[in-house]
Amino acid sequence: MFWRKRKPSDFRAEIEAHLELETEQLKEQGLSEEEARVAARHAFGNVTRAQERFYESGRWLWWDHLVQDLHFGLRMLRKNPGFTAVAILTLAIGIGANTAIFSLIDAVMLRMLPVPRPDELRLVRIFQPGDTGEGNPTFTNPIWEQVRDRQGVFSGVFAWSGDRFDLAQGGAVHYANGLWVSGDFFKTLELRPAAGRLLTAADDQRGCSGAAVLSYGFWQEHYGGAASALGITLSLDTHSFEVVGVAPPSFYGMDVGSKFDVAIPICAAAQFDGKESRLDHRSWWWLTVAGRPKPGVSMNQLAAGLRVLSPQVFTASQPTNWPPDMQKKFLRWVLVATPAATGMSSLRRQFDRPLQMLMAVVGLVLLIACANIASLMLARAAARRKDLAVRQALGAGRFRLIRQLLTECVLLSSAGALVGILFARWGTALLVRVISTARNEVFLDLSLDRRVLGFTVAIAVFTSVLFGLLPALRAIRVSLTLAMKGSQATESVRPRRFRSRHWIVASQMALSLVLLVAAGLFLRSFAKLATLDMGFDRNNVLLVGTNLQVARIPPDQQLATYEMIESRLGALPGVLSVGRSKLAPISGYFWNNTIHTDWSKALSGDDALAFFNYVSSGYFQTLHMTLLAGRNFARGDTKAGPRVAVVNETLARRFFPNLNPIGRTFRIDDIGGQPGPPIEVVGLVKDSKYASVREDIPPTAFFPATQISKHTEEDSFELRTGIRPSALVSAVQAAVGDVNKQIPLEFHTLAEQVNDSMVQERMLALLSGFFGALALLLAMIGLYGTLSYLVAQRQTEFGIRMALGAEPGSILRLVMRSVLSVLAIGVVAGIAISLAATRVLQQLLFGLGPRDAVTMVAAVAVLSVVALIAGYLPARRATKVDPMVTLRNE
Amino acid sequence: MSTQKEKDRLELLQGTLDLLILRTLIFGPQHGQGIGRAIQQTTEDELLVEHGALYPALQRLEERGWIAAEWGTSTNNRKARFYTLTRLGRKQLVRETTKWRRLAAAIGRVLGPEAGEG
Repeated sequence: MFWRKRKPSDFRAEIEAHLELETEQLKEQGLSEEEARVAARHAFGNVTRAQERFYESGRWLWWDHLVQDLHFGLRMLRKNPGFTAVAILTLAIGIGANTAIFSLIDAVMLRMLPVPRPDELRLVRIFQPGDTGEGNPTFTNPIWEQVRDRQGVFSGVFAWSGDRFDLAQGGAVHYANGLWVSGDFFKTLELRPAAGRLLTAADDQRGCSGAAVLSYGFWQEHYGGAASALGITLSLDTHSFEVVGVAPPSFYGMDVGSKFDVAIPICAAAQFDGKESRLDHRSWWWLTVAGRPKPGVSMNQLAAGLRVLSPQVFTASQPTNWPPDMQKKFLRWVLVATPAATGMSSLRRQFDRPLQMLMAVVGLVLLIACANIASLMLARAAARRKDLAVRQALGAGRFRLIRQLLTECVLLSSAGALVGILFARWGTALLVRVISTARNEVFLDLSLDRRVLGFTVAIAVFTSVLFGLLPALRAIRVSLTLAMKGSQATESVRPRRFRSRHWIVASQMALSLVLLVAAGLFLRSFAKLATLDMGFDRNNVLLVGTNLQVARIPPDQQLATYEMIESRLGALPGVLSVGRSKLAPISGYFWNNTIHTDWSKALSGDDALAFFNYVSSGYFQTLHMTLLAGRNFARGDTKAGPRVAVVNETLARRFFPNLNPIGRTFRIDDIGGQPGPPIEVVGLVKDSKYASVREDIPPTAFFPATQISKHTEEDSFELRTGIRPSALVSAVQAAVGDVNKQIPLEFHTLAEQVNDSMVQERMLALLSGFFGALALLLAMIGLYGTLSYLVAQRQTEFGIRMALGAEPGSILRLVMRSVLSVLAIGVVAGIAISLAATRVLQQLLFGLGPRDAVTMVAAVAVLSVVALIAGYLPARRATKVDPMVTLRNE
Repeated sequence: MSTQKEKDRLELLQGTLDLLILRTLIFGPQHGQGIGRAIQQTTEDELLVEHGALYPALQRLEERGWIAAEWGTSTNNRKARFYTLTRLGRKQLVRETTKWRRLAAAIGRVLGPEAGEG
């Protein structure tokens, strides 16, 4: 419609044609050529007026005005490059920060899987009657097989599980992100191969040999996208897989936050697991199940279908070694379906709140930035009052002037948005690196999508209205005569302008204070966590992860192999001591069960839960865990001897209250709920963190590695080093290689392991600190600018005051008084907002409450000091006014 | 042709020009000048239609989609922009005509029989 508009020239031609026709007709009626022409014109009326009416009626006018406004706006912005640069940069930071956080939210929470019709996909979950929530999305393979074989509601159903596979054959590990997939995985997702073929149901049959599909990225990175990659053999945890195809480029897997490198069929798990394969294990929870419902099957029909299916599925996959009451509960479980369009993500639970928090923070930063620009625009509008007054006097409409001023704002914010998107691209990449750890590399699809671009455009428009409208309205509400006289005096006649600028600055202060408080809380929270007493010494400890099963060492030789490696590592130069454990400290993994003693009142449920680890006798010394009483493990603690344990203080306190725990015994309940053999406490060790940094230290019992009941194939070595731990890596590799070249080795330092578990806190502290500082800087620029402007405007007044005998000190006080009033309002409002708003931070803090007084006081102090400095500079300038100069000017 | 003094003519009521244009086009495509002529003739020169006012009106009707336009050649072989009534325009004409008739009748009733007029 807009572009099909007639051109004015066409309209003019039509009028010409009319006049010709009319003249012709009049001539036929007997008029002379000249008379006819005049009469035709007369009958037509005012030709120019008709053309004007055509022009005004059309959007041509609108278009011309827009072009005019853009030209004018660009000219004004070019005339003032300093202002333009500051404004664009400020906006770019504000808009960029918002775009960055929003694109993370988009990538983690909102983006749909890159498969055809993702909104059809449904995740299957297991709902346990009596539980709240949506149900548990993990399955055992027996349950999955039952669902696959019995269901009739899905046109296709599939299962998958993330894993990691070692590509190296012994020595330092080289992990690839693995994906176990069921036969119909690719078919149901309707994906097409980029090369070769994808896995099908024929590949996923019990007893399968290995076929593997590479991700497009992995194919490009490792094989340069060569067709020759098809048919080659990959070694995954030393098992051979033939590459049969490559997945499409946009498909990164079902889990948002990571990408897969190689996908292999579920049936291949049999090769990895040895005797107790997860394929038949009835309490090995590792698969996620989803499907595409048959066409026309509604959500309700789907739910009904799954409900009917449930008893058959669970009866056939019942874990018969569970306690009877738990088996009974198991049989009552129900399958349910939930939407799966956005895939699954462990990132969501972890970063949901932090991201929302950061979104609020950057929103506030943007508001503060807007306030700065509004304040600059007000100053500029004041400077342009004469210009605007002349235009108004010449007949420019108010609406037209507002439009003109807003066009400038839109230009500014568009430029800001463009630069902001660049900032955001860079910022999100950085952010992803911040939340990535050595163990868990985060991958997000951060390509700009329509949602992110729409968001950026929306906030650009929103901000331009926010910072443009008030100054524009102000600018046109001027008294023409006063403005045209060009007197400075008009300013002091209208002190209201000052007041609105003061309000802007005060609100900036308030918002900055809120951000400073938030930053302070997160920084303190992180500091508390980082300096927390772990109960062990994290520095100079090298962790060496192993896997004897991958190296195909038979279970009966595993203990001996480990002991041999341990003694060799202990002999390495640079190694002060060596320990070994089933679980490395702060690994995130845990092993627990309920225990019973005869010395305390019977504890039940979670109260009776204790956490366990098998460790060698070098473990406590290596980690600098102080033995408080009793003895360490000794040579005599063998499988043949009585079972012994070293317990921590918490366990002693809870299970042996007011007793000396040494010499007492406890029993671990076995899987059927029956108490096991008695275990004697031989030592008491100081409390230390077990699985994570944030936890309350759990009751922990350490058992001697020599008494391990079953096979132990994934032990970890801890090496206390006298030199930099990473310098020992090659020596360790060589030493382990001497024992067995097939053993895969994974290296971390304990310090790194501890730091990685604080990734969320670190991110929040880093970002809130950064944005808090940014907000403070912006607010101070605002204050400084406003005061400088005020001082410049009141120069005459100050000059007169000084000519009349005012001391420089009193002028200084005059200006500083307005700084203090602005500061006071800002602080009061800021504290009020903080108290109301920080409650939502509760869950994200560690070791302090959201109303932490120290943080509040510190934030107010920082704000006040910086505000006084920012205010003092222009105030001092006011005292330097030369009365003679100003009086002469007036 | 324009012998009658202009002060004797009736000024067009607001909005009636649109109606007259639509009505005129019911007999087939016509160019602007022809429409002007036709209105003058059918109203027996009672109405004052300034030709200049015709074109913005035509433009407006075209934008609303009630008429469509195309350049063509007139009977005496001159280039002219011809207007045709669209289906939408036809509907609008019916609506407007009914409205106008009701209005005229209502006003007529208020004013009473013609004899009453001095």
